[in-house]
Amino acid sequence: MIRKWTALLLMGMTLVLMIIFVLLDKKEFSENENRYLAKLPAFDMGKIRSGEFMEGLESYTADHFPFRDFFMGIKTQTEMLVGKKEINDIYIAKDGFLIEEYQKPENTERIGNILKAFAGELEGEDLEIRLMLVPTAVYVYEDKLPDYAPRRNQMETAERIYEISGIERIDCSGDLLGWQASGQNSSQASYRDSGKVCYAGEGELYYRTDHHWTTLGAYVGYTAFCREMGLEAVSLEEMDSRTAAEDFRGTVYSKAGDYTRKGDVITTYTNPLDHLTVKYVDTDETSDSLYNMEYATVKDKYSLFLDNLHSLIEIENETSESDRELVLVKDSYANSMVPFLVRHYKKIYVFDTRYYKQGVSEFIKGHPGVTDVLILYNMNTLDTDLGIRGVY
Amino acid sequence: MVFSSIPFLFFFLPICLILYYLVSYRWKNSVLLFFSLVFYAWGEPVYILLMFFATAVDYCSGRLMERFGKKEGMRKLFLVFSVTVNLSVLAFFKYADFLIGTVNGLLSASIKPLGLGLPVGISFFTFQTMSYSIDLYRRKVPMERNYLDYLTYVSMFPQLVAGPIVRYSVVNQELRNREIKKEEIQEGLFRFMQGLFKKVLIANQAGALWEEIRALEAGGASVATAWLGALSFTLQLYFDFSAYSDMAIGMGRMLGFQFPENFNYPLSSVSVTDFWRRWHISLSSWFRDYVYIPLGGNRKGTPRHLRNMLIVWFLTGLWHGAAWNFVLWGLYYGILLILEKYVWGKTLERLPKICGHIYAVLIVVVGFVIFVFDDMGALGRYFLSMAGCAGNTWWGEEFLWYLFNYKAVLIVAAVLAFPVYPWFKRKVELAGDGIRTGVSVLAMAGYVVLFLVTVAFLVNDTFNPFLYFRF
Repeated sequence: MIRKWTALLLMGMTLVLMIIFVLLDKKEFSENENRYLAKLPAFDMGKIRSGEFMEGLESYTADHFPFRDFFMGIKTQTEMLVGKKEINDIYIAKDGFLIEEYQKPENTERIGNILKAFAGELEGEDLEIRLMLVPTAVYVYEDKLPDYAPRRNQMETAERIYEISGIERIDCSGDLLGWQASGQNSSQASYRDSGKVCYAGEGELYYRTDHHWTTLGAYVGYTAFCREMGLEAVSLEEMDSRTAAEDFRGTVYSKAGDYTRKGDVITTYTNPLDHLTVKYVDTDETSDSLYNMEYATVKDKYSLFLDNLHSLIEIENETSESDRELVLVKDSYANSMVPFLVRHYKKIYVFDTRYYKQGVSEFIKGHPGVTDVLILYNMNTLDTDLGIRGVY
Repeated sequence: MVFSSIPFLFFFLPICLILYYLVSYRWKNSVLLFFSLVFYAWGEPVYILLMFFATAVDYCSGRLMERFGKKEGMRKLFLVFSVTVNLSVLAFFKYADFLIGTVNGLLSASIKPLGLGLPVGISFFTFQTMSYSIDLYRRKVPMERNYLDYLTYVSMFPQLVAGPIVRYSVVNQELRNREIKKEEIQEGLFRFMQGLFKKVLIANQAGALWEEIRALEAGGASVATAWLGALSFTLQLYFDFSAYSDMAIGMGRMLGFQFPENFNYPLSSVSVTDFWRRWHISLSSWFRDYVYIPLGGNRKGTPRHLRNMLIVWFLTGLWHGAAWNFVLWGLYYGILLILEKYVWGKTLERLPKICGHIYAVLIVVVGFVIFVFDDMGALGRYFLSMAGCAGNTWWGEEFLWYLFNYKAVLIVAAVLAFPVYPWFKRKVELAGDGIRTGVSVLAMAGYVVLFLVTVAFLVNDTFNPFLYFRF
């Protein structure tokens, strides 16, 4: 009797899910996962033969399956229940951290050569060119990783890229590790002097639920930049801090799928001395702030830094400490560092080479005011996203 | 289309079953044929013609064999014709490039490979359709009069791409005249679900572990990790393959067919001979009945027996894929079976049973390493890692990482590889009414929960391979 009812229940569940799937409105974009969902593949003989059609259909049905977020949560909870410490390429790390793995790099030589070619084009110009490869949480928070988790050293890859490209480096990995170590030695450490550099106290360098560094992490990166460039870093005390969001659940949170976790705090810093004009060239909008607070209320809160994605942003500081101009070629890690950099530059041109296609070196040659070039990427997206290709 | 995929589970199968149950018996074969062709055309929109061709040849040979029923010579002629056509089709589409590659390698020639894609399931359906011709010649089965029924038999989607190899003699009655009972639908559904859980929750997870270990750089895997990798591939292959058979048998029952069992806890074997009685039974019995015994089996003296064994195991290996590692894998078993028969089989039987288990598992695990690498260099390197001769350590932290991270699937798989499920079932049947009801309530709740978890894994799936594309 009970077997019969269970069989009927299983069949019923299948049919109900099938009917809901058909009737359900299909979303184009998943806010939770911050990505566009798969579209129904077009019926095409060639694609059927290559198997592409079937794969597309599987992604489509998976992406639009009823209660997708609920099912993804079930999968993660099941895996955590049976003791998995790595889910969807995310480590379930200690102290509530979710840390993205560092996959085996595939494009090291290629990236090095692209950068070398880019530097070659600028040869002869009177420019200070620097390359800054920022480690991600998996490197800095190695001791937070689950026991015995495999380690792959990001900075060895970075070393190789520095060598091939021949561009002078700014290595902030030591600063980040140093800050991390000092924070552990004294949990009460509020401010600590280390030479001329002033480290900020409590707080984390990376978000627990996102792949970015925190504003504090960006600040530590900025101090390394200042040291190498001979600038005096502004101390955090001199800046106005503000809690921009308290429930930031980032990309890593969505990828891991453990929806029971709390969000992160996003802090923003503004220097009262700066007087800024921020011009988003591609959308032709102008603002006096580096932050777009509209993003603080949506899922993708990190985008509040520099208004998410733009191919070119021009930032002018009327009250900067010098007349130097910086070209910043970067990924999203730089977005939270720019608020510190503006103090030192009259103008900063911020390029996202995934979208800027007119050639950054041409731009530099056409703007003789440019004195400095900084290329800043994090070690994960550098290899996987290859936005850097657009630089050359 | 993979059985363990959302399009199959939530669209193809329910729609097919609903229509199948709605139409009268007269039309059931047509519905089944239609859905089977859709299923196949989905993966092989062109090579489906090949299946039509092969089945048409065997169907016609069958009719001609009957027509010339009194002339043995003519019957033999049509049998030879049918078998030749089937084997040629198989050889051409599956082995031509392998042969060209081998010839190129041996004679340093440069014949251009044909680059034909392997038609899905070709090794399965040619073997099925040959079983009909041979059995008809041996007068073991009646002639099939209806081509569409015959095509329905060969193309039947539950067993088309990954077995079991269902012989015509097993289903010819049911093909014409079958009864669909509610209990059969219900039990078939449970069998299908067991297969689905095995595939998604065990095989895919063990496979993910194997892929991680396989991707380690040379020397990066300690000896312990290399063995763990080999074991995880063994578990993946067993649970994947037997899950497919479970799902096929389950769907067969839901459609009113009784397919033969294909696996009987092969990893609990006590010898290699025992293993091959329990692993892919429909294939080994096919080779036994249609190759080994016709060659004379073991009845014509030791030299003939050795020759027959080596031929059968060479072919068994080759059947699994067009590459030398499969041949090597087949011969590895041929030789071990000969040794067991003539050298240490009797000794093995006298030893405690546990020795047999360890011996058999070791041989099987090592065997599947040969099976998985079609690149001889990679195979050699992996064996060096397993032997500790690749400059690697005996064990390292990465071994503990894999062990801890995958402990759940390893434990569950290791337990379910032994016949604990039937043992538990027997115990419960002998127990009192109270316990029986309790266990059955729990089991049913388990099905519902596991179904939801399985769907969750499929919705969030990054790893759902199809292992039989080479067969």
